[in-house]
Parts: sequence; C-alpha cells; structure tokens
Amino acid sequence: MATSGCMGVADLLRRAVAARASRALVAFATSRRLLRTSPPSRAFAKELFLGKIEKKEVFPFPEVSQDELNEINQFVGPVEKFFTEEVDSERIDREGKIPKETLEKLKSLGLFGLQVPEEYGGLGLSNTMYARLGEIVGLDASIAVTLAAHQAIGLKGIILAGNKEQKAKYLPKLASGEHIAAFCLTEPSSGSDVASIKSRATLSEDKKHYILNGSKVWITNGGLANIFTVFAKTQVVDSDSSVKDKITAFIVERDFGGVTNGKPEDKLGIRGSNTCEVHFENTKVPIENVLGEVGGGFKVAMNILNNGRFSMGSTVAGMLKKLIEMTAAYACSRKQFNKNLSEFGLIQEKFALMAQKAYVMESMAYLTAGMLDQPGFPDCSIEAAMVKVFSSEGAWQCVSEALQILGGSGYVKDYPYERFLRDSRILLIFEGTNEILRMYIALTGLQHAGRILTARINELKRGNVTTILETVGQRLRDSLGRTVDLGLTGKLGAVHPSVADSASKLEENVYYFGRTVETLLLRFGKTIVEEQMVLKRVANILINLYGMTAVLSRASRSIRVGIRNHDHEVLLANIFCAEAYYQNLFTLSQLDKYSPENLDEQIKKVSQQVLEKQAYVCAHPLDRTS
Amino acid sequence: MSWAQAILLARGLSRGWGGICGAVLTGAPFSQVPLQAPRGLHCSAAAHNSDSWLVPPWPEPRKGPTKALTLHEELFQQTLEGARDKANFVRAVQNFGQHNVHKRGHVDFIYLALRKMREYGVERDLAVYNLLLDIFPKEVFRPRSIFQSMFIHYPRQQECGIAVLEQMESHGVMPNKETEFLLIQIFGRKSYPMLKYVRMKLWFSRFKNINPFPVPRDLPQDPVDLAKLGLRHMEPNLSATVTIYQMPSSRDSTGTADPTEPHIVGIQTPDQQAALAHHNPARPIFVEGPFSLWLRDKCVYYHILRADLLPPEEREVEEIPEEWNLHYPMQLDLEYGRSGWDDYEFDIHKVEEGPVFAICMAGAHDQATLAKWIQGLQETNPALAQIPVVFRLAGSTGELLASSSGLEEPPPPEGQEEEEDSQQRQQQGQS
Repeated sequence: MATSGCMGVADLLRRAVAARASRALVAFATSRRLLRTSPPSRAFAKELFLGKIEKKEVFPFPEVSQDELNEINQFVGPVEKFFTEEVDSERIDREGKIPKETLEKLKSLGLFGLQVPEEYGGLGLSNTMYARLGEIVGLDASIAVTLAAHQAIGLKGIILAGNKEQKAKYLPKLASGEHIAAFCLTEPSSGSDVASIKSRATLSEDKKHYILNGSKVWITNGGLANIFTVFAKTQVVDSDSSVKDKITAFIVERDFGGVTNGKPEDKLGIRGSNTCEVHFENTKVPIENVLGEVGGGFKVAMNILNNGRFSMGSTVAGMLKKLIEMTAAYACSRKQFNKNLSEFGLIQEKFALMAQKAYVMESMAYLTAGMLDQPGFPDCSIEAAMVKVFSSEGAWQCVSEALQILGGSGYVKDYPYERFLRDSRILLIFEGTNEILRMYIALTGLQHAGRILTARINELKRGNVTTILETVGQRLRDSLGRTVDLGLTGKLGAVHPSVADSASKLEENVYYFGRTVETLLLRFGKTIVEEQMVLKRVANILINLYGMTAVLSRASRSIRVGIRNHDHEVLLANIFCAEAYYQNLFTLSQLDKYSPENLDEQIKKVSQQVLEKQAYVCAHPLDRTS
Repeated sequence: MSWAQAILLARGLSRGWGGICGAVLTGAPFSQVPLQAPRGLHCSAAAHNSDSWLVPPWPEPRKGPTKALTLHEELFQQTLEGARDKANFVRAVQNFGQHNVHKRGHVDFIYLALRKMREYGVERDLAVYNLLLDIFPKEVFRPRSIFQSMFIHYPRQQECGIAVLEQMESHGVMPNKETEFLLIQIFGRKSYPMLKYVRMKLWFSRFKNINPFPVPRDLPQDPVDLAKLGLRHMEPNLSATVTIYQMPSSRDSTGTADPTEPHIVGIQTPDQQAALAHHNPARPIFVEGPFSLWLRDKCVYYHILRADLLPPEEREVEEIPEEWNLHYPMQLDLEYGRSGWDDYEFDIHKVEEGPVFAICMAGAHDQATLAKWIQGLQETNPALAQIPVVFRLAGSTGELLASSSGLEEPPPPEGQEEEEDSQQRQQQGQS
C-alpha cells in the first residue's frame, strides 16, 4: 500500500496527511514513468495470454489497513449524506446544468482534488480510496462525469507529466475547485486517429510563446473550465534532423485569450454535465506551459487515458447497488395475481443478474485499484480497460433489466429510472468506445505473447522436428482431456475450497486460452491486427478470465477472513464463473479453424452487401415476381 | 402415363413417322401445310421440320399468309384514322370478332395483330395479349383422347398460341391467371401452349430479378437524365457526386440540341478526388474516350479522366505512422506474418491499371466540350490546375460507325433510333 494510516487530524481536507512523503514519491515516480519504455513488472493480464496465472498479482485480494478504512469511511459519510439528501438529480437532468450551490458544496467537500497530492492541496487519495469515493459520486451521473473530466483526465496530465513549477502553479487551485480543468483532444476530424489532429501550435518569433489555433469538440467541462489540457501539432526536429509534425500537450489557461466555447450540447444522458466545443484562436501559450516534452504529447495523452479508466467499475457498481435497492422495494410491494412480483422466477432472475454484475465489476475494480496502488507502478492499462468494458456493458444491461422489472414506471419521467438508462448509455461510448478498448485489450496482450513466443513459432514455421513433435504431442494430450492444474486449488492453493470448482474452471480456461493464442499467432502472425472479429473474441475471453479471477480472489478472501454474508459471495462467484466458463468454451471453439460456430465469413458478406447498397438489401416480404 | 412421358413418346413417334412422310412433304414450311391434311401426317410434318418447332416462326412466316392477311388488314386500316393506341387496337380486335362470327381465319388475324402490337404501343400490355388469346374458339382444340394429346392436336392453332406467349416473353410480360384460364379453355391442360405457359411462369419469376445492376424499363428521354443514370450505373459507390457541368442550351422547336452547348455530366467519388489531389503534377493525366455503354436499347458514350500506373519505384509505400492511434496499436511488432493455411488469397495474375479520377458523359465528344468538363472539375479539384491534361480521344468514327450500323439491324426499338442516329451523325460530323 502506498499509504499508511495516521489519523487524528480533524479537518477533512487535510486529514490524509500521513503518507505524504510516500505519495510525493508516487507523483515523482509517475512522472518519471513516462520515460520508461518497458513495463516494470509482469502484469497479470498479459501473462494470461501465455496460459499462465500470475498468482501473486491477484491473490490474495488487496486489502486496506484498518486505519485507512476508518479514514475513508469518515470521509465517505458526509459525502454520501450530501449526495442522498441534497443533490437533486432530477433537477440537474431537467435544467441541464449543475446548480452553483451544489458545485460549491462539492468543492468544499474536497471532491475536486481527490488524487492531487497533499502538498498541492489535494487529498492525495490512493486509487483504492478514489474508487471507493467513486461509488458515491456515481449516484449522480452528471456530477460523476463532471468530476471525472476534471480530475481523471483534465488535471491528470499535470500530475503525471507536469514539472514542479507547473504543479505548484496549477494544482492547488484545481484541487480546491477554484479552477476547473478540461481535457481537449477530440476534434471534428479526429477521434482516436491522432494523426489527423488539425490544431496547431507554432513557436512565436521570440521563442517564448506558442501560438495555438484549432477547434476541439465534445469537451466535457468546456464551458466551465479555466484550465485546459490541449493537444496540438507542433513542428519538431527529429533526431535525423528532419522536420516532423508531432503532438504536444499544453496547459492552456482561459485567461491567455482567444479561448471561446460553443453552447452546451443537448445530450441524451448526463445532461447536467457541460459538453461543448472549444475554440482556440491565436492563443498565446508560454513555453513553460508545455506539458511533458515538446512532441511527446502522444504519450501524455495515452497515459492519461489509460490511467483514468479503472474507476468506472466502482462508480457503476455504486449506481447499481442503489438501483437494486430501488427495484427490489418495488418488486416486493407490487402485487399481481395475489403474489408479489418478487415471487416470480423471471423477476428473481433479473435480481440475481444485477447482483452478480455488481459483484463482479466491484471485484474487478478494487482488484485493479489494488494492483495500481502496489509499489513499482505496474502497468495495469489492460486491466483498467477490461474493467471499463465490463462495467459499462453491465450497467447498460442491468439498467435495462431493471426497467423491465419496473414496467411502465421505468419508462416515464416521473421516476428516476429512465434517467439511469439515459445516463448509462454514454458509458459504452466515452473514454474510448468499448470496441476500441477490446482491440486494445487483445492487441496489447497478443503483442506481449507474440514477442515471447517468437522463437517457438519461428521454429514451428521452419519445421523443426522436435518442436513440431512436442506441439503435436501436447495437442494430443490436450484433446484426450487433461486436467489443468495451475496451482490455484489444492492444499496450499490460493483459493478457498468452496470455490475450488470454479477455480479449476478458470484454470482450464486459462490453459486453453494460452493454447488458442499460440495457434492464432501461428495462423495470423502480425496480420491479426486486421482480424477484428477474432480480436473481439480474444478480448471477451480475457475479460471473462479477469472477472473470474477477481471474484475468486475476493470470495476466497471473504471466506477466510469471515466477512459478513460471504456465503452469498460464494454463490455469486460460482454462478459467474460457471457462466463465464461456458461462454469461454464457446468462444474458444469459435476461434478454432473451420469452426462451425464461427459465422464470421457470412457476417462479413452480409455487412458488405448492406454497406454497398447503404440500405437493407432484402425485398419486402410482400413483394411478388409475378 | 405422365404428361412428360407422353410428350417424349409422341415426339419419338412423330420423328419416326416424319421419316416416312418427310419424303412426301419435304421442305414445306409447316405454316403452309393445308389444314385439310390428315391430322396425323400434319403433326408429324411439323415435328419433322425442325426440333425447335416450339419457337414460332415469328417473324419469319411472312410470305405464306400475307395473302390471307390482307384480308384482315382493313380492320386495322379502319382504325388508322384515329390515333394508334390501345383503344383502337382493342376496337380492331373486337371488330374481327363481330365480323367473323365463325372466327374464320383467326390464326392469321392473331399473327397480324401480334405484328401490329408494337405499332400501337401495346406490346407490353397483358390485357391485350389475353384479348388476343380470347379470339380462339374455346373447347374446339382441346384433345379429347390420350392419342390426340400425344399427336399434336391442331398444331397450327397451338403454334399460334405459342407465338402469342413467345411475344409476351420477348417483351417480358408475365402471364397471369386469366391467361392460364384461357389456355386451358382453348387448348386444354395437356397442350404445348400450356407447357410454354408453365415454363414461363417458372423461369420468368426466377430471372426477373437476376440482374444485380437493374436498368429501369423505361429509360429517361432527357439526355441529361440518361447520362446521370448511365454514370450512376457505372459507379457503384453511392457517395459519388454527380455534377452537371453544363446544361444543354434550351432545345428549339425541332427538338435538336444546339451543338455548340451540349450537356456535360460528370461523376466523381470522394476517393477519386483524394487520389487526384495526391497525384504528382509532373505526370500528365489523360482524357480518354469515347467508350460505349449500352443501357437497354440505347447506347451512350462516356469519357474518363485517368492517369498511367505509377512505375513501381515511384510508388509510395503506405507507412503506418508510429503515433497514430491513441487507443490501440495499429500494427504488431512481430516478425512473422500469416501462415499459408490461412492465406486465402488465390494466386491470380492481376493486371494493374492506372487510377481513374472521374467519368463524364457529354453531348459532344470533341476536345472543346471535354475541356469544359476539366474546367468544371477544377472547381472541386484545385490540384487539377497544376496537372497537364492530355486529350486522347479515339478516332471515334470507326467504333461509332460499327455500333451505329449494328443499330440498324434489330427491329427498331420504340422509335428512338432517329434521335440516336442524329446524335451519331453529330458525332461523326465532329470527329
């Protein structure tokens, strides 16, 4: 743990003084991390691609110390009270903005500087604590998004890549909420395609300023923010003295001049958050405000985005828990045919699903947060991306099921449920769409596996007899049914015997996943980048595997420590593992060559024909030829 | 015995008989065989004559029946004063029924009517065909025994019935229930017209939508609209934009376009625009043409703007920039590629061609007109100003003459040929 408890400071905002030194180190080292190229420690998810479980990364489930827990609970209390009693989500949604007094209260609670180090006036929370607070903030999606845009991406660049002067200058005001930050990357012509960024910063003649020009779209907090992290192209002289356009990150204050923003977009959900266009016209940015290196903006952006994702898991889980309470109350009170709704099997099923999803995403989120908080700054970007994909899809699915339980009342504006649905739709889209993140998950892992397997695959391709015989023998043994033992179960196993069955399911999945990855690399090599449907399946399996690991680890800990209702956790863990196991088996079989379950070729043909006509192709069912 | 078997047997038998009778009735076109001839001989002669007897002799059997036809010609002459339209055609057919209570010479009349149909513009009218079939006396030609149906019963009438169906087929008219009902009434279920009907029912529906690039049945008359249609037909990309660079100067009363301002219509896709923008200005691009494109029975001509294929040493290898995609790697840093087992690319020798940047259809094919097109293109493709354009217009005469002479041959379709011809004369004059 990066923090160690030290209590007794009354003031909420200055309470977490304790691990100041260690956290300052965190901040320092994080900024240094940008310069490093290879990941420092073996990440769990990447090893899964090789069919291995890196046990010590995920077992036992990360814990926080009692002091820390008390500390966070003290902090959580008032925030929770504020959110349940004072925040009027209905009004925020209706008016399309967060009222001033609500914003002021949020600032005074210190929610604008959760992860800003204490020496700059923030709370310096660890990732775990940040996730915990996210659960409460998630009760109102508009506020959650506003806060996330401010600190998860808006000012994150300064924490990660800023130098001492920049931090000292900007972070205190940002942490107090006096200034709000925004992250300006997307442009009309450029989403994740950074090469097509049109904004440009040119060095002025006295070489003291950059002149920034360009337009950015979909900027959350664009209308509120005073500090912008802006990405623009600059001319950089390369090592071989050729001039190239490269992305550079800048800290831009609204007061620099030439910064204007459009009117707030009228959105489907998260209506209270402020999203608008931001234009920069001949904005003079002093060279001290270059974030990171000149031309190093790409890495800055990547780091900010990769770091900001894990918290969605706990935010969504917080929202879901609330939703379960509300719908359960409804289901237990509404009578049909002299029975409560809760007595019908099809309704019960939905509650089990919601509980299971909430449990899994919570486990994944806190496992990831715990991994991120470990010393050595492991690269957990794949894990974070998996949390984001799983939780956003889970949110959409659960809210939809909840509306199903609620029937008509879920569909009208008199109740808050339809707002939940609208708000949760954005989760699948922003912070990298789920499709893009699946590509990231699969490709990053495959790159890792591909490098390690290079020698072996080359030997296979060259026709090395021993390697081929070895592989054939291995496949033969696999097909004859072997029991996989990766050391999770057994006497000194990492998991508790109550979930041992699920653990061996996970082991089996992991082993065969490793085999499949090897086969895929052998089949497609580097051209696998073009096989998006294959990559999607790889990512889906990996997300399931990570979810299984997280719940197994958490349930095992709960049993061993004797957490309240741990038997319920065991049930949820076993349900999820069994479902995920069969899903994985199916997906793995789809990844086989000539698999009858795999309909990709047909699917591609259909979409090709539809896209060629840009319309639905089939004739009307009532059409006749005669 | 099934019907099919009966037919096979009948044909086999008739062929055998044909050997015998052939000597007697050699070479006589079957439509001229007198009706009085014994029925057995009659049908064998027909079968012997050619195996393709199912195909009616249309438009061949002119010579024989012409004498008889003059008899009915006046029915149509009467209507000549009026407009040649459906109403008058129907009146003529009805007149025949009224004047000929016994329906004498109805086969000849039907053949005549079939030929007149196009004149009256009713060749695609199902109701008119049914009306023609209705002329046949009912029940008379139905075979009453298995032997009658084996040896073609009333062949001349059956052939005539088939001729009606055949003309329907060539104009793409689908018979309906009424047709079936009439045929059953006239010839019975086991007759050749019925067989033809069943086959039409089967294959018409299957072939109706077989063309993946359908051309509308009635082509637009306006040359600009026709050009738009032709361009859209050639360019499958729906995001392509059609631009009218020049409208034809208003047509005068005679209906001929002013040759000095012919229409110019072009099409270009965004991809083509991008390719043109990236074209190396040092390399010339070419306007080539005219090339012909047939839309149903009309031939239109188009020109293309293209460049030569770049020599391999000048081609830019598309490089994946290192910092391109913020979210996931666009390429993997691995040494090995796709294995042979998953490489489904066939080893095809591909002939690479230079890029085509735009297509146009113009009313005239001379350099002045096409230069106007290039000028118009410059508005959306500023790069074109720097690139030298070479006009490589084919000695269009030869090609055009050949195609225009080919035009004369087939029966003139829907009276378009005058316009076509004048257009071509224009072309020849200019080239």
